[in-house]
Amino acid sequence: MTGLLDSLALLCTAAGLVAGITVLASSRDSLLALRTALELWVAAGLLRLAGPPSWSTLAAAAAVIVTRQLITQALRWSGPGG
Amino acid sequence: MRRGRPATGSVVCSFGTVPVVDSILSEELLSEIVDLLVRVVEAAGALIIFTGAVIGFVRFLILAVRRRTPAAFVTVRLDVGRFLTLGLEFQLAGDILRTAIAPTFREIGELAAIATIRTALNYFLRREIRDEREELSRDQQPASGP
Repeated sequence: MTGLLDSLALLCTAAGLVAGITVLASSRDSLLALRTALELWVAAGLLRLAGPPSWSTLAAAAAVIVTRQLITQALRWSGPGG
Repeated sequence: MRRGRPATGSVVCSFGTVPVVDSILSEELLSEIVDLLVRVVEAAGALIIFTGAVIGFVRFLILAVRRRTPAAFVTVRLDVGRFLTLGLEFQLAGDILRTAIAPTFREIGELAAIATIRTALNYFLRREIRDEREELSRDQQPASGP
C-alpha cells in the first residue's frame, strides 16, 4: 500500500505544479497560484501520512503546512497581487 | 475453597483454569483484526484526500481556462480543504485504533506524538478554511458607504 500511496502523492505534487502554473498564466496572480499549488501539495503530504507513521513523513507534511502559512502571510503583507 | 484471581483471558471453573477467552479471541487475532481495521480506515482517509485533490485539480483547471474571478478559486480551495480535513480525521481515527494494540509505553508515546502532530495539522487546516471563508464573505458583501 505504501508504494501506491507514494504514487498518488507524486500525482498530487505534479497536479499542484500544473494547477499553479495554469492559474498563474490565467490570472497573473502569484498569491492565488501559490495557494492553489500548496493546496494540492498539502494533499500530497497527507497522502504520504496515510501509510505507516514515520517521523520523516510527518515532518514533511508539517513543513508544507508551515511553509504554506508563512508564504501566505508574507504575500498578504506585501500587498494585493503579491 | 477460595479461588484466586484468574489470569487475563482465562476463566476459573470447576475443572481449573481454562483459557476460554483466549480460545475464542486470542491476542494475536485481536491484533490482526485491529491492524486490518487500521488499514481500512487509513485507506478510506487516503481515498478521500485523493478524491478531493482530483476534484480540486479539475475544477482549478476549468476555472483557469474560463478566466474566472479569484473568489471562484477560493470556493474551490475551501472545498479541497474540507476533503483534506476529513481525510486527516480518518487518519486520526487510525491512530486511535492503533492505541488498542500498542503493547509498550514507548509505542503509545510515539502514537501520542504522531496523533498530536496530526491534530495540529488538522487545526491549522481548519483555521485556514475559516479565514478563507471569512475573507470570501467579506469580499462578497456589498460595499457600504455614502
